[in-house]
Amino acid sequence: MDARVQDTTVKGEIDITGVNKVFGQGAAAFHALTDIDLSIATGEFFTLLGPSGCGKTTLLRVIAGFEQPSSGSLRINGAEVAGLGPNRRPVNTVFQSYALFPHMTVAQNIGFGLKMLGKPRREIEATAAEMLRLVRMEALAERRPAELSGGQQQRVALARALAPRPRVLLLDEPLSALDLKLRKEMQSELKRLQTETGITFVFVTHDQEEALTMSDRVAVMSAGRILQMGRPTEIYNAPVNRFVADFIGETNFLVLPVAQTEGDAAHLTLPGGKRAQALLPDGMLPVTGADVTAVIRPEQATIVEPDAGDMTATVDSAVFFGTDTHLHLTLSDGQPFVLRRQNRPGQQPPEPGTALGLSLAPGALRVLED
Amino acid sequence: MAEKGYSVRRLPGFGLIAVLTFTMLYLPIVILVFFSFNAGPSQAVWDGFSLQWYEAAFQNRQVREVSIRSLWLAATAASFATVLATLAALGTTRGGRFPGQTMIYALINQPLMVPEIVTGIALLIFVAAIKVQTGYTGMGYLVAAHTAFCIPFAYLPIRARLETLDPALEAAAADLYASPVQAFFSITLPLLVPGIVAGFMLGFVISLDTVVITEFVKSAGQDTLPTYMLGQLRRTVTPEMNAIATLFLALSLIIVTAFFLITRTRGR
Repeated sequence: MDARVQDTTVKGEIDITGVNKVFGQGAAAFHALTDIDLSIATGEFFTLLGPSGCGKTTLLRVIAGFEQPSSGSLRINGAEVAGLGPNRRPVNTVFQSYALFPHMTVAQNIGFGLKMLGKPRREIEATAAEMLRLVRMEALAERRPAELSGGQQQRVALARALAPRPRVLLLDEPLSALDLKLRKEMQSELKRLQTETGITFVFVTHDQEEALTMSDRVAVMSAGRILQMGRPTEIYNAPVNRFVADFIGETNFLVLPVAQTEGDAAHLTLPGGKRAQALLPDGMLPVTGADVTAVIRPEQATIVEPDAGDMTATVDSAVFFGTDTHLHLTLSDGQPFVLRRQNRPGQQPPEPGTALGLSLAPGALRVLED
Repeated sequence: MAEKGYSVRRLPGFGLIAVLTFTMLYLPIVILVFFSFNAGPSQAVWDGFSLQWYEAAFQNRQVREVSIRSLWLAATAASFATVLATLAALGTTRGGRFPGQTMIYALINQPLMVPEIVTGIALLIFVAAIKVQTGYTGMGYLVAAHTAFCIPFAYLPIRARLETLDPALEAAAADLYASPVQAFFSITLPLLVPGIVAGFMLGFVISLDTVVITEFVKSAGQDTLPTYMLGQLRRTVTPEMNAIATLFLALSLIIVTAFFLITRTRGR
């Protein structure tokens, strides 16, 4: 609301520079956020992803104004908002618990923000009706929250937060209380609402699949820091470190010796003696002969005849997942390897003990910084 | 049914203990009510049905006077106590953690822990000193003493209610552009009403009931219904006392029922 300081070097809808958040003092001090730099563009669906306790919710609360940063700058639409309370920021929040006002009807809940902004009653009613249409809840306007199902409460919480037309909508794990089917439904519903309203969404989740499917960009957080930020494909295909590789999707970690390096790639010696090219992270120059950790996704290897592939392995077990089967393998040097194979009609999983050849997709192998 | 699970019903003597307990709790009250309708002056011999003792109670000017004083005192003290208890509950649950918080809980709940007779004697000495200094002998002492005594009884249900309220509700109000004052009056206070009503009623009943505090604090001519009845019992006991006690009981039942209905319908 308050545009006190207009900056001409606006980069995005939200610009966070050097934000730190420390709880407590002295020896008991806890660094919840460390040196957060972040810029979110207008109309972007941006996700903060990480395990519980990584600081993602604290960062959301700092943006909302429930917590003030210990240091650093926070701009919304170019205006510095650090120090302002939540009622003076053009952002609205969808709470994990929904936090619907139990003594008000659905329509009163949705109109609350506009009422506090001092809008005329006619406008409040019109907007509430429009929001109810947007979330397809027209029939339930006069119900109380206690009379609604979890999914319906979720829609009301969304409508209430969207009604004042905030510049940014903050969503704090809004789908975590819903069952799987409803969650899938609400994921596409959220995506539709974001596209229709054009409002910037900042979404907090610990569910990597949710993050990958819904987001324009994802920031992976751990221990109060942003480890990697980028489009879902970048995060998935090119994780910068072990944590990100491990947290996003499933990954095989292989410890392999370096045979030779060549620009931004290295040739690694695979179990069995064959070589494979692996991408190196920026600025990393491993010594020939030294062991490095390389990652490869389970779907990036295919089964070929024994001896025909890059490596050989024996089958320990096969787990059927419907669309695909996970094969748990042991490589010839004893390292474990998980392979994901898409199921085809009539295809039987290999028996435990079967020897297989593995062929690695070109460019699939990546060396991690350790 | 009998095979599965644990049931106290199968403990030997459980039924007998239950029956004895309820008999001890309610039989004396039933007898008291029963003899309030006695035509004769006895508490032991039934002489037929009559409402004469009720008539006597209503026509007794002193009974009317002390009853009105009791009700006025209970309403005043419970009102003050409820306001103070609401503030205390907000301070201890919404003010963030502060040093000595546990100590504050204990201090607020002092009347629940310190024997009433100790509080009574302390008040007697304290009030006497003020009376000597100021010469004031009005109802102020009783109002103050009853208010202080009622605070924990009002505080407990209000705090219990506050603790069940999701703090995210107030955060949501602030997020939706409500100032702290607006958030309090549009969200916190309306949701707190069942707790506040319960706190007021508990305080009211406690004030109406207390003998010890009143006995030590009151000046001449400030008898409440309980201290008046106690005084009368030292002389002869007629069923008029039964009639007054029965009316008193009816009033308490009405309050408790109202309390139950309010918390059930508004408690959601």
